[in-house]
Amino acid sequence: MDINKIQDIVKQDGIVFLTYGGFLSQALISGMTEALEQEAAGSELNMGDANDIFTIFIELSQNMMNYSKNKDKDEFKSEGLILVGKDENSYYIHSQNIIALKDKEKIEPKLEEIETLTRDGIKKRYRELRRSGKDKHGKGGGIGFYEIAKRCSKIEYSFTPINDDRFYFHFQATINTKKDKN
Amino acid sequence: MQNLNIEETKYTPRIELDASNGTISIVGKSYPENTFEFYEPVMKWLEDYFDGNAQAETKINLEIIYFNSSSSKLFFDLFDLLEEANDANTIIINWIYDEENESALEAGEDFQEDFENLTINLISK
Repeated sequence: MDINKIQDIVKQDGIVFLTYGGFLSQALISGMTEALEQEAAGSELNMGDANDIFTIFIELSQNMMNYSKNKDKDEFKSEGLILVGKDENSYYIHSQNIIALKDKEKIEPKLEEIETLTRDGIKKRYRELRRSGKDKHGKGGGIGFYEIAKRCSKIEYSFTPINDDRFYFHFQATINTKKDKN
Repeated sequence: MQNLNIEETKYTPRIELDASNGTISIVGKSYPENTFEFYEPVMKWLEDYFDGNAQAETKINLEIIYFNSSSSKLFFDLFDLLEEANDANTIIINWIYDEENESALEAGEDFQEDFENLTINLISK
């Protein structure tokens, strides 16, 4: 294996702080969050933007930890790809993992709704859902994607079918930096 | 009634629930894997505390640097519990945030609007 190929991919698209592919655990997520904190502390990021990045990163990683599925068998596999990087005026976070059809059916309407909403609309909807607890489940409040959308400038996503019941779910959040650290 | 203290970890806050002086504080980051499970003893303690064990005045200091969305829901439920206890008790909540941390300020403002009956002070440090 040529490690330089990975290095090239990482360099190709701006500066990548962090990239990880493989099994996710809570300990690993907090370790990566610490690495991001150090990166942010040494950069021009203000605290508000930095916290938005940490929150989105945590949200996406915990989603992957909880929902990633094995490609064929009906079992969980806490595996995925996550990447945090920077280009000229923005930071971006990508995630990709395999999800089941029934989870796609839960996620997709939320993402479609978010795309139709303004920033204030997203904030309003977030608070409505948090209050109603309508989508609350064992591990969360069902408001994760609204939390992400509220904290970034743009979301993009795609579902690529693998078979009848499995999809690659790719998600990207872009955070335009508001101001310099002072 | 017994006090409850939970040590801070990399992804959970330091929690101090002191029944003898009516002070409750939650300080740090909050992104546990199983948020509702993690905070269950805290919610249970608060229910017991407000069920006849509360001091004349209860002071609650919340200083959450950042949190995941399930913690956001949990804090909402916590404020809900406090709002119910608010009629029979004097409760003062301090939402403490770093002045550079806009998201933390905004989260505090949202809770203020959602719980108009509660006294929530936004305190920058």
